[in-house]
Amino acid sequence: MSTKILVTVKEVAEVDDEFEISGLDIDDRYLEYDLNEWDDYAVEEAVQLSEAGDDVEVVTVTLGPERSEETIRMALAKGADRAVRVWDDALADAGLLDATTKADLLAAVVESEEPDLVLTGVQAADDSFGATGVALAERVGFEWAAVVNDLDYDADANVSSVRRELEGGVEELTDVEGPAVLTIQTGINEPRYASLRGIRQAQRKPLDVHALDDLGLDESVVDSPVDLTSMYEPESEGDAVVWEGSPDETADELATFLREQGVVEG
Amino acid sequence: MLDYVGLEADLDAEEQLIRDTAREFVEEEVRPDIGDHWIEGTFPTELIEEMGDLGFYAPNLDGYGLPDVSETAYGLLMQELEACDSGLRSMASVQGALVMYPIHAYGSEAQKDRLLEDMGRGETIGCFGLTEPSHGSNPSAMETHAEADDDGYVLNGTKTWITNSPLADVALVWARDRSDPDEPVRGFLVETDRDGVETPKLEEKLSLRASVTGQIELSDVHVPEENVLPGVEGMKGPLSCLTQARFGIAWGAVGAARDCFETAREYATDRDQFGKPIASYQLQQEKLAEMATQITTAQLLVYRLTELKERGDLRPEQVSMAKRNNVRTARDQSRIAREMLGGNGITADYSPMRHMANMETVYTYEGTHDIHSLIIGHDLTGIPAFE
Repeated sequence: MSTKILVTVKEVAEVDDEFEISGLDIDDRYLEYDLNEWDDYAVEEAVQLSEAGDDVEVVTVTLGPERSEETIRMALAKGADRAVRVWDDALADAGLLDATTKADLLAAVVESEEPDLVLTGVQAADDSFGATGVALAERVGFEWAAVVNDLDYDADANVSSVRRELEGGVEELTDVEGPAVLTIQTGINEPRYASLRGIRQAQRKPLDVHALDDLGLDESVVDSPVDLTSMYEPESEGDAVVWEGSPDETADELATFLREQGVVEG
Repeated sequence: MLDYVGLEADLDAEEQLIRDTAREFVEEEVRPDIGDHWIEGTFPTELIEEMGDLGFYAPNLDGYGLPDVSETAYGLLMQELEACDSGLRSMASVQGALVMYPIHAYGSEAQKDRLLEDMGRGETIGCFGLTEPSHGSNPSAMETHAEADDDGYVLNGTKTWITNSPLADVALVWARDRSDPDEPVRGFLVETDRDGVETPKLEEKLSLRASVTGQIELSDVHVPEENVLPGVEGMKGPLSCLTQARFGIAWGAVGAARDCFETAREYATDRDQFGKPIASYQLQQEKLAEMATQITTAQLLVYRLTELKERGDLRPEQVSMAKRNNVRTARDQSRIAREMLGGNGITADYSPMRHMANMETVYTYEGTHDIHSLIIGHDLTGIPAFE
C-alpha cells in the first residue's frame, strides 16, 4: 500500500540587522529569502518516513512566486520527490495572504493530491500567524494535531502517535487518525544538509506550477477581513546591556551595575 | 561575502544551492570550533564521513556514486571550505583531487570499484605520497623505489609533508620502478596496515594546524601487482593530480581572502575610536579598497580558469599562474585584515591571523610560489630555468 505525504514549504523573508521600512513592508534591499525553519523540520520528518517505509511519496506544496523555486529545490534536494507551486497575479496583487486564504489555496491542492498525511511547520518565521496548518485541517475535514515534537506513524492503519508541546512545559501524547494534518515543531529531528548528489537530482524532479484557475478557484479567494494597515518599528523602552565573557568575569560587572542602579545595597 | 563585480549572480540554480549548502554547513558545523582545533593541532575527524555524505570529495568526477557537478560548483565548494580554514579544504583536496582523481583517471576497474565509492563517502581515507625529505621542489629526483618480486612489488623509501597520512587507510605512493630499465615513476596503492608501513605525525607546525600532517615510511613493504595504477607512467601521473588540486587551491585562496575581508570590514564599521567607527578613516578605507580590488582580481582569474577547464582547454601553466597569484593575494591581504583588527586580531577569536598563518603552508605546498614563477617563466620564454 502506498502512502502520500504532503508537506507545506514556505519561503520566508529574513531581515538584516539594519533595515528600512518602505510603505507596508520592509524594503526589499534588506531581505534575504530562505526555507522556513519549521518547514525544514517538517520536510525532514517526511523524508525520514519515506526512507523508513515502502512506497512513500513526499510532495511539497508552496504558495509563492517564481523566486521561491530556489527554496523548493532545496526541499527536493533534501529528499522530497516532487513539488507543487501555486501562484497567480491575483495573489501577487493581494499583498497580505491571511491564514484563511492560505488554507483555501492549500485545501485545493489537498483535494487534488489526496494525501494520507499533511505535515506543516507550526508557524512561518516571517508573518508568524501560526494558524495555517490547523485552518487547513478544518477546511478539508482532516483530523489534526498542533505543535508536534515527536511522531510515530503507522502507515498501514494511517494513525499518527504524536507528542504535542503544550503551555507550561506540559506535553500530551495522543493518537490521530488519518488523513490528518500535523504541525511540526522545531527539534523533532535534526534536519539534514542537502547533499551535492541531492542537489543535482533536485534539478530533474518535477515542479508543477498551478494558477487559481487550475485549482478551480477564483480571485475571491484572496478576500480577507484582515488588512495590513501599517508597519513600524516599536520604540524601545529601555536598553539591554550584554556582557560578554565567562561567568567569573561578568559576575563582577553585573554586581557593580546592580549596585549602581540601587537594586542591591552594599 | 564580497562579490564586487557580481560574478555569483550568473551562477545557475544548482551552483547557488551548492554554494549555500557548503556555506551553511561550514558556518554551523565547523566554524564554531575551528579556532580550538587550530590551537590544539587537530582536525575535526568527526566531519570526515559527514563531508562524504554531502558529496564533498571529488564531486566533479562521474560514476561510482559521485555527484558529477560542474567545475564551477567544485570551485565554489573549495572556496567555501577554505573560507573556514585551509585545513578543511586540504582534506577535500587530498581525498578528491590527489587520490580519487588519479584512481578515476589511471586506475583499473577493480581499483575504482574497490575504492572510489568508499572514498567518496569518507569511509576510506586516502593520502598522497610524493614529496621526500631531500626532494621537495624536484620530486623527479625521488629515492623511493619499487622492485618486482613474485606477485608484485617491494617498496622502500620515505615520503614527508603528507597531509592526512596518520589518518589514512590507503596511501597513493609515487615511486621509481627499478625492475624497468628506464626506472619510470609509477603509482602504488599502499594500504597503511601493511607490514613495514609507518605513518608518524609531524608535530609543532606553526601553520595549517587544523590539519594532520605526517610521513610515510616504507620498509620492504610488499604490494601485489593489482595495487599498481595501470594507466600512467612517469611524472605526468603525480603532476596531473597536482594540476587538479592547484585548481581547487586557486579557488580556496579566494575564500580565505574573502573571509579576512568580511571580518575586517565588519570590525572596522563596528569598532569606534576617537568617537567614530575606524572605517570612517581614510587609512582604513584605503586598506579595504585595496583588499577588495585584489580579491576581485583573484576571483576573475578563477572564473576564467574554470571556463577553460570546463571546455578542456586549461593548461597547467595557467593553473600555476592562478595558484601563484591567488595564494599571494590571500597571504598579503590576510595580514592587512589582521592589522585592521588591532590587538584583537592576534587572538583565535578572529579568523585573519589563522588564515595568515595557514597561507604560509598554502604558499609553499603544491609547488612553491617561486617554482610557479619558473613554470610560468618557462612557458613565456621557452627556456627552463630549473634544468
